[in-house]
Amino acid sequence: MRRLPIYILLDVSGSMRGEPIEQVKYGLELLMKSLQRDPYAVETVWLSVITFALDARLLFPLAEITGLKIPPLPEPVTSPTNLGEALGFLMDRYALEVRPSTPEQKGDWRPILVLMTDGAPSDVGLYKQNVERLKRDFPFARVVCCAAGPKAKVEPLRSLADEISALDTMDAASFSQFWSWVSTSVSYAAQNRVANSQNEEEDEDDELPPPPPEIRIL
Amino acid sequence: MSNIVSTTAKDGSTVEFNYENPKSGAMKDVYFAPDKSYVVAFYKKQLDYAGLSRLEKLVGKYREQIFESEGGDYWKDIFCWPEKIVEYDGMTGIVVPAYQRHFFFEAQALQGEEKEGKWFASAKNYNRHVPEEERGALNTFLRVCLKLAQGVRRLHAAGLAHSDLSYKNCLIDPKSGSACIIDLDGLVVPGLFPPDVLGTPDFIAPEVMESLDLPKEKRVLPTRKTDQHALAVLIYQYLFHRHPLRGKKVWDPDDDKRQESLEMGKNALFIEHPTNRENAYDDRDPEEVNALAPWSLVNKLSYKSMGPELSELFERAFIDGLHNPDLRPTANEWEDALSMTADRFVKCNNPQCIGKGFIYNNAGHPACPYCGTRLNGPLPFLDFYVASPQGNFLREKNRRMVIWHGVRLYQWHADRYVVSNEKTKPEDKEAVAYCVFHNGAWNLVNVNLPDLKVVYENGNQVDRKIGIGQKVVLANGMQLILKSPPNGRAVTVGFTK
Repeated sequence: MRRLPIYILLDVSGSMRGEPIEQVKYGLELLMKSLQRDPYAVETVWLSVITFALDARLLFPLAEITGLKIPPLPEPVTSPTNLGEALGFLMDRYALEVRPSTPEQKGDWRPILVLMTDGAPSDVGLYKQNVERLKRDFPFARVVCCAAGPKAKVEPLRSLADEISALDTMDAASFSQFWSWVSTSVSYAAQNRVANSQNEEEDEDDELPPPPPEIRIL
Repeated sequence: MSNIVSTTAKDGSTVEFNYENPKSGAMKDVYFAPDKSYVVAFYKKQLDYAGLSRLEKLVGKYREQIFESEGGDYWKDIFCWPEKIVEYDGMTGIVVPAYQRHFFFEAQALQGEEKEGKWFASAKNYNRHVPEEERGALNTFLRVCLKLAQGVRRLHAAGLAHSDLSYKNCLIDPKSGSACIIDLDGLVVPGLFPPDVLGTPDFIAPEVMESLDLPKEKRVLPTRKTDQHALAVLIYQYLFHRHPLRGKKVWDPDDDKRQESLEMGKNALFIEHPTNRENAYDDRDPEEVNALAPWSLVNKLSYKSMGPELSELFERAFIDGLHNPDLRPTANEWEDALSMTADRFVKCNNPQCIGKGFIYNNAGHPACPYCGTRLNGPLPFLDFYVASPQGNFLREKNRRMVIWHGVRLYQWHADRYVVSNEKTKPEDKEAVAYCVFHNGAWNLVNVNLPDLKVVYENGNQVDRKIGIGQKVVLANGMQLILKSPPNGRAVTVGFTK
């Protein structure tokens, strides 16, 4: 069966201490809850969590979400935010775990990456390099960044993420939007594309005006 | 906390709703009535003129046409139909009845969730996540499919097409055998109201899928024929918990989009195609096959396990008519085949059996395809005959009823002009006869068949009347008249091995 891998990258560096890490814990709970109640997700989603600070660590490898209990997160420690390092680790996991399609067998759907951080990687050079490599060699269906804490610096993340949202304004419904299209990703995108282009065209020339006022003959 | 708002609907009636905490969907925000008996769904995007006039037809003419004609009440359970239009706070909304209680999960992890069809359509979800008491059985799934087919038939008969049938837009309750078609505000009337969407993946007809990338004027849009494809997919998925077109064939390993568009479009191929095995069900992973059994055991539980009537329709839907929309079975044909198939349902003797029964398929010594338990036979079955204008009886193709302890016969068995649908009169819904196994014999008990008589037994023509309240022991080769011609039917009795 085709799986939809979701990788979650969690920042546990020192700057995450306090509300940011609490927001992340709450966000993870919401995410699990919305996944486990969605029949599309339950059928296809596999989840893995990677934490990072000075280096990246695997909290748990890709696992089915049914019955999955997320182990406690490590406490944030004073350390740099080595997101570049973490991306490198993520790509290794990707290469190891995500099954590509072959001419004989359908592989996994393209994975989704959810990054929860307060921003600003410390290893800027490696980060840039790894973003490029990831974009080139490790296709994700979607990269979402959830900014944690009031002081989140999201600017450097724009080169990586397709979209950035503030973690403290998110609810279960906004999480479920990340994969509402998943089991159906491909054709839904195709469908959207068409529906949109249709609307555009209609806006230009196809929309019917209201009928003129009735003229009574008799 | 609540913030009850009162407003006047376009039809002049008062509509109240709690203007807080909407349930947000893709197109609409949904607010609940104070007593939760209905919801008010406001469109997020202002509707254009065509959209508004469609809504007006929907709550007006179309609704009256369906609900105020013969048997109208029947549809209240099958359609969740918009009733009124409201304008409030600059938004346009519709008033829709709330879903009935049995369409929400009651127990365990899924408590309060809607019974979206996807929970039941996928083998993995069905085997692992649907609580046992919510799983239903083959006979209740047949009823679910029958209700869906009836609903779609009614829309089509009214000149409407749903355009986006999918497990998202049909709530089902296999426990009670109910189904309800929701999200009807996207109805399509060819030439009058074009579709808003092209459908939901898994259900988009191949010809629509194929045309996605063509210029607009060449695109194929949803119609009654694409509904017919979607209905066939729904029925297949509910009966087998697998998708009829998602097999092992890889068309493009490098491009997911292209793979999908070929798999569901131009190259779509039935996973049970009898000669072209290219896209057969992928059963190469034994662990997975085991987890998804019996649905993954396609050879044991093939479409043919559903009896001759449904088999023929599956062949037309997924072999002959897959790329030829005119050959697809109509909703009405599904309806007839499903109700005829229900007469072939036999209970399985294994209480743990996941199907709880199976369709008797004319085969030698029948075994349950779900669990392999052999039928505790022999069981009697009835073959049905109708009178020709010349007065002789003609066999009705494939109409066969398997008799088990407690099975009931209704007016629609005895009378060829009575059907079981929205038009069935209340008096025709009562059983006219029933069968019981008693003292080592199969007895047919006459409840309300004034004409019932045996006309052939033990090799001789006879004329033995069976009065109301009396019984007759069924014997191999026996012939009975259930009701006198021209409307009535006759049956012959046979026995399974």
